[in-house]
Amino acid sequence: MEKLFDFERFDIKLEAETIGRKFYYFDECKSTNTSAFEKTEEAPPHGGVFFAERQSEGRGRHDRRWLSARGMNLTFSVLLTEKAYFNDPPLVGFAAANGAAQAVENLFQLRAETKWPNDVLVGGKKIAGVLPESQSSGSNVERIVVGIGMNVNQTDFQGEFKILPTSVRLELGHLVERERLLAETLTLLENQFEKLRQDPALVVHDWRNRCRALGDTVSVRVGDETKTGVFDDVDDRGRLLLKFKDESIETVASGEIVA
Amino acid sequence: MDLTQIRKLIKMVDESSIAEFVIEEEQTKIKIRKPGANQSAQAFVPPPPVALPSAPQGAPAEAPKAEEPAEEKGHVVGAPMVGTFYAAPAPDADPFVKVGDRVAVGQTLCIVEAMKLMNEIESDVNGVIKKVLVENAKPVEYGQPLFLVDPA
Repeated sequence: MEKLFDFERFDIKLEAETIGRKFYYFDECKSTNTSAFEKTEEAPPHGGVFFAERQSEGRGRHDRRWLSARGMNLTFSVLLTEKAYFNDPPLVGFAAANGAAQAVENLFQLRAETKWPNDVLVGGKKIAGVLPESQSSGSNVERIVVGIGMNVNQTDFQGEFKILPTSVRLELGHLVERERLLAETLTLLENQFEKLRQDPALVVHDWRNRCRALGDTVSVRVGDETKTGVFDDVDDRGRLLLKFKDESIETVASGEIVA
Repeated sequence: MDLTQIRKLIKMVDESSIAEFVIEEEQTKIKIRKPGANQSAQAFVPPPPVALPSAPQGAPAEAPKAEEPAEEKGHVVGAPMVGTFYAAPAPDADPFVKVGDRVAVGQTLCIVEAMKLMNEIESDVNGVIKKVLVENAKPVEYGQPLFLVDPA
C-alpha cells in the first residue's frame, strides 16, 4: 500500500506545544471540519488536528465544494475549545491565513499575500483557503474549528475558478514534502492563536502587512448588492473598510471581494 | 421602525437626562421609561404645603401608566457575535427552524456569519419556537435577540 503520510517526519518537525499534539488521521472523511465538530464521549481536545487525505464532502463557504486530490495536498482542521482564544471568533480566519502564508514563505521563499478575509495567494493565485466555523449554545460560543486547505503537490485543477488556483509545486517546479509544511503551518498557527488570546489586534496587524490590495478599487458583494469603492483598510476587528467617492466609509463584516 | 432604530432610541434616552420618552408613528407607539422615572419626576414637583390637604402619595396626576406591551415571555437566543443571520444552511434550503417547531437542546437554529466564520447557533433550551426575530440574510449586532423560545 502506498505510504501517504509520514507521521515520524511530521512529528520531528512539529514545534507547537498544543496544536497538532493530538492528531486524527483519516484516509477519507466527509470533511475535516465535520470530524472536528463530532461530539465524542471524551472532552473535545483543544488544539486537536483532524487531517484527511480525501474529503468526500469537502466544503467551501455556503457549502460550495472544495476539491482536493488524494495524497497531494493538506486538508485539515484545528479544534479550539478554550474560551481564552474566543476573544474575537471571526479573527481565527485571519490567524489561519497568516499562519499558512508565513509557512509557505518560510519554507519555500514564495511571497504569500492575504486576500480578505481568509484566502492566501501567491502571484495572485489561490494557494490556500480557510473555512472557519464555530458552534454556539444559545449566545455562547463553545467551539471553534478552523479548516485549512493548502494546495501542495497538485498540478492539475479541474473546474471553473473565480481566482485561479496554484500549488507550491506549480510555483517551484518540483514536489515538496507535505509533512514539513504541515508541521511548519501548525507551529505558526499556534503562535497566531496565542496572539489572538493576548491581543487580537496583533493578528490584524500581521494580516494587514500581508495584504496587497489595500488602496485598490474593489467590488464587494454584500448580500444581494455589489458595492465598489477603495479598500481603505481593515478595522481592529478585521472588517473591511470600503471608501466611496463621497469619502463615506462602509464597514463590511460579511461580504466577498468579487473584483 | 426597525430594531436598530429602537435600539438607538433606547441608547439616546438612556444617555440623556430624559426620564420618559414617547414616540408615535402611524402604526407604532413606543414608550421608553427609565427605572425610577416616577421618583425623579416627582423630585421636581415642589412638595405640597403641609397645611393643605395633600394629594394621595405616589399618585401624581401625570403618573405614567404601565402601558408598554408586556415583555414577551420566553427564552431569548441572542447573537453571539456581529454578523449576518442565515436561517438556512444554503441559499435554496429550508430554514433550520420555523415558528411553532419544537426544538431540543443542541439543535441548530441558525447561522451567523462574519468574515466567512460560519457560527452555528444551537438551542440551549428545549421548547417551541415562538418568534423568529430576524429576517434571513440580514445583519445582526452582538447580543441582538434572534429567537424567542417558549421553554417546555
